[in-house]
Amino acid sequence: MENAQAVTTNINKPREEKSKSLWRHAFETIMKDKMAVVSILIFLSYSAIALLTTFDLVAGDWAKEVGGSYTAPSAEHWFGTDIFGRSVMAKTLKGTQVAMSIGLFTALISGFIGVLLGAIAGFYGGKVDEVIVWFYTTFSSIPSIMLLVAITFILGKGLLAVYLALGFTSWVSLCRLIRGEVMRHKDREYVHAATAIGGNDFRKLFKHILPNVLHIVIINFSLQFQVAIKSEVILSYLGLGVQGRPSWGTMIDDAKLELARGVWWQLAAATLAMFVIVLSLNILGDALRDALDPKLKGK
Amino acid sequence: MATNDGLKRIVLMKKMISVLLSIALVLGLSSCTKKEVSNDKVLNLAVSAKIKGMDPIYANDLYSSNEVARVYEGLLEYHYLKRPYTLVPNLAESMPKVSEDGLNYTFKLKQGVTFHDDKAFPDSKGRELTAEDFVYSIKRLADPKLQALGWWLLDGKIKGLNEWRDKYADQPKVDYTEEVEGLKAVDRYTLQFKLAKPFPQFLYSLAMPFTFAVAKEVVEQYGKEFINHPVGTGPFTLSEFKQTNKIEYTKNPSFRKKVFPSESSPEFKHMLTDAGKTLPLVDKIIVNILVESQPRWLNFQKGRIDYIGIPKDNFDSAVIPGKGITDDLKAKGINLTVTPSLDVTYTAFNHDNKLFSNEKLRQAMSAAFDPVSSNKLFYNGTALPAQSVVPPGIAGHIEGYKNPFFGQNIELAKKLLAEAGFPEGKGLPEITYDCPSSTISRQIGEFFKQQMSKIGVRIKVVQNPWPELQKKIKNRTVMLYGIAWGADYPDAENFLQLLYGPNKSPGANGSGYNNEEFNQLYKTAAVLQDSPQRTALYEKMNRIVAEKVPWIFGVHRQSYVLFHSWVKNYINADFNAGQAQYLNIDVAAKKEASKKL
Repeated sequence: MENAQAVTTNINKPREEKSKSLWRHAFETIMKDKMAVVSILIFLSYSAIALLTTFDLVAGDWAKEVGGSYTAPSAEHWFGTDIFGRSVMAKTLKGTQVAMSIGLFTALISGFIGVLLGAIAGFYGGKVDEVIVWFYTTFSSIPSIMLLVAITFILGKGLLAVYLALGFTSWVSLCRLIRGEVMRHKDREYVHAATAIGGNDFRKLFKHILPNVLHIVIINFSLQFQVAIKSEVILSYLGLGVQGRPSWGTMIDDAKLELARGVWWQLAAATLAMFVIVLSLNILGDALRDALDPKLKGK
Repeated sequence: MATNDGLKRIVLMKKMISVLLSIALVLGLSSCTKKEVSNDKVLNLAVSAKIKGMDPIYANDLYSSNEVARVYEGLLEYHYLKRPYTLVPNLAESMPKVSEDGLNYTFKLKQGVTFHDDKAFPDSKGRELTAEDFVYSIKRLADPKLQALGWWLLDGKIKGLNEWRDKYADQPKVDYTEEVEGLKAVDRYTLQFKLAKPFPQFLYSLAMPFTFAVAKEVVEQYGKEFINHPVGTGPFTLSEFKQTNKIEYTKNPSFRKKVFPSESSPEFKHMLTDAGKTLPLVDKIIVNILVESQPRWLNFQKGRIDYIGIPKDNFDSAVIPGKGITDDLKAKGINLTVTPSLDVTYTAFNHDNKLFSNEKLRQAMSAAFDPVSSNKLFYNGTALPAQSVVPPGIAGHIEGYKNPFFGQNIELAKKLLAEAGFPEGKGLPEITYDCPSSTISRQIGEFFKQQMSKIGVRIKVVQNPWPELQKKIKNRTVMLYGIAWGADYPDAENFLQLLYGPNKSPGANGSGYNNEEFNQLYKTAAVLQDSPQRTALYEKMNRIVAEKVPWIFGVHRQSYVLFHSWVKNYINADFNAGQAQYLNIDVAAKKEASKKL
């Protein structure tokens, strides 16, 4: 948890030269970090693949038989074929769509819940705070896998259920962070100033305070994104995930039986795809924190 | 085992599915510490699941019931060396006298059979088994307080037993002394059953471990712990059952004189070298519990397990299709035995759904399905395509019969689909296909989807945890579902009942199929004793369901078991309770063969 006294802010600080905005500064910092740039490019290309597969421009024919059952990787099929002779390459690409959409929607849902509850708790304090803190403490004491399984049981199967299940189970850490930050900010002068000119609570909270804690949301978003991708794989592996379309989780589920007969390529393709995006998002998350978190400035 | 008839049956079915899917299961492994082969005749087995306990009335899964049957015995058993399966007396002196109306069964018991020695008996000396023991044991199965998992077997079958059960359901204590009309010990060695209605399959239930004889003194002595203190009349004893990974049985020193059979079906003639020898043939059984397939497979190869069902994914390294086992295994003296299982896999239509009353649609979908590829993908090409519901090996199966709508024929399928009113699948809604949530079940579902897409039928595969699937079938909220059925006893009735209209959900007929002609035939056949007339009826029903396609049939599976050269008399059987007493170990051969492993 951050300690308000130890922080020097760069807001309202008079500067000699033309001051750069926080965002401009962050952008420049990230651009200097080669790893971060590569990560962004990887993230963008995964997003592009996901979009292209959504409109069937890429891997639209993943369900087609292109060869025999369990053909080993070759020049023709880079990642070989699966049990039904479908291209593992095409399945992996199609799986990107599932993974990216789950990452995106989960991060959005958990971001929304986390920010809303965290901001309200931090801003109003008192009973409201107590209730929200009690709620997320209780909530986070339930093992998240159990919770995931329970939610998918209630919501049924499908992509929407996975979005919601993962979104509903992953907002607690963000909520805590936002609550702390908002508490720290709400007695700042700029907030008092806003009060003085007649700003209401809603305006103070969302127009003034929130932009100042937004960097936390962004960092959290990128980390949440990859956690969601991993969780989807676990859910699908357990047979609770997406149905009727390829996902990396179901591919790994298939692979657990295939390995005994020496079929490694489905496992390899799915884990490689997952490894690259998860690693990129982790690096990106770190870089974002370095760039956006004022406490780490000049480190 | 029913697909959808309350929890007890669910558990049973689950057992069957797991049995069926994982091909075969029982294997053995010897003590790992000893390097040298001991001179004792030790049978090294392994099972692939935890044993729940040693109480017959709770032994509703294959693994527990096999363990129970080493210690306990019943009135009847299956002849070890005869196929088709034939019931022979075990604790009964002879086969029962059956009254003309098929309702009364009178058994004479063998005299001089004693329970294992145990401190529950006076002087710790096992007492003689009497007819009262069977009355007591079967009442235990019906006892409402005990919630026996095998009650479905006799539910509604024995006169007065259901009433006895219901009467004590709400009372604090169950009175075993109250006489039940259909279950009487006439004298010390005479036991009489009266059935509530004719049920020719009744005798099979007396060969199932649920009805095996326990002693009242022992049950009372140990109370709740009885499940861990098996005391039966059987060939082996176990002083105490513990939840460990190893169970060691020793030969029962006071076992009655029971000998290896001297008659056999032609295929087992070579086993008659042991004819007339006193059973059991081995001194000791070590049962190892190895849940994962890889350790089982490796231990088998090292000779620490006497026989093993080949794990699905090790199949390629063990068997060359069409040629038998690999040279590598052959050089080690390992043998392969292949036996059809009494089972059938199928995709059922929910006949409550208006859509599927369209017979042409059902036939079209059946004709679009490719059983050959399915067999290759999921059963290593070892299963037999199921032309209809009754598997080979029991009366009612029609040898050489070819179902006109089975075996992929896309042209025919498209034609039928057009006749059904859905040319190229136009106008047909998306059809859901529900299956259990295991990896293989999902793949089978995906395969089905792929097959149906060839004629334009759109399928959506939905995975469900097992209880959820059962519930959905029961609540009739499924459209199509993929499932399997394994025989409880070797009678086609056990399969045909799955399609008998009045058996519909919550009964065994999960698809809700209802065909007047079939129902009439079934009603007639159900009360007949085994006879050519009954077989003819079975065959007729089998043909009707093939042509009307109430299900899309899948395969009858075969189980592939490997056994070492030193194991004698091994037969892979669907009903293998009590098998261990017939197995023999050639110690000299084992010493020799072990050098090569």
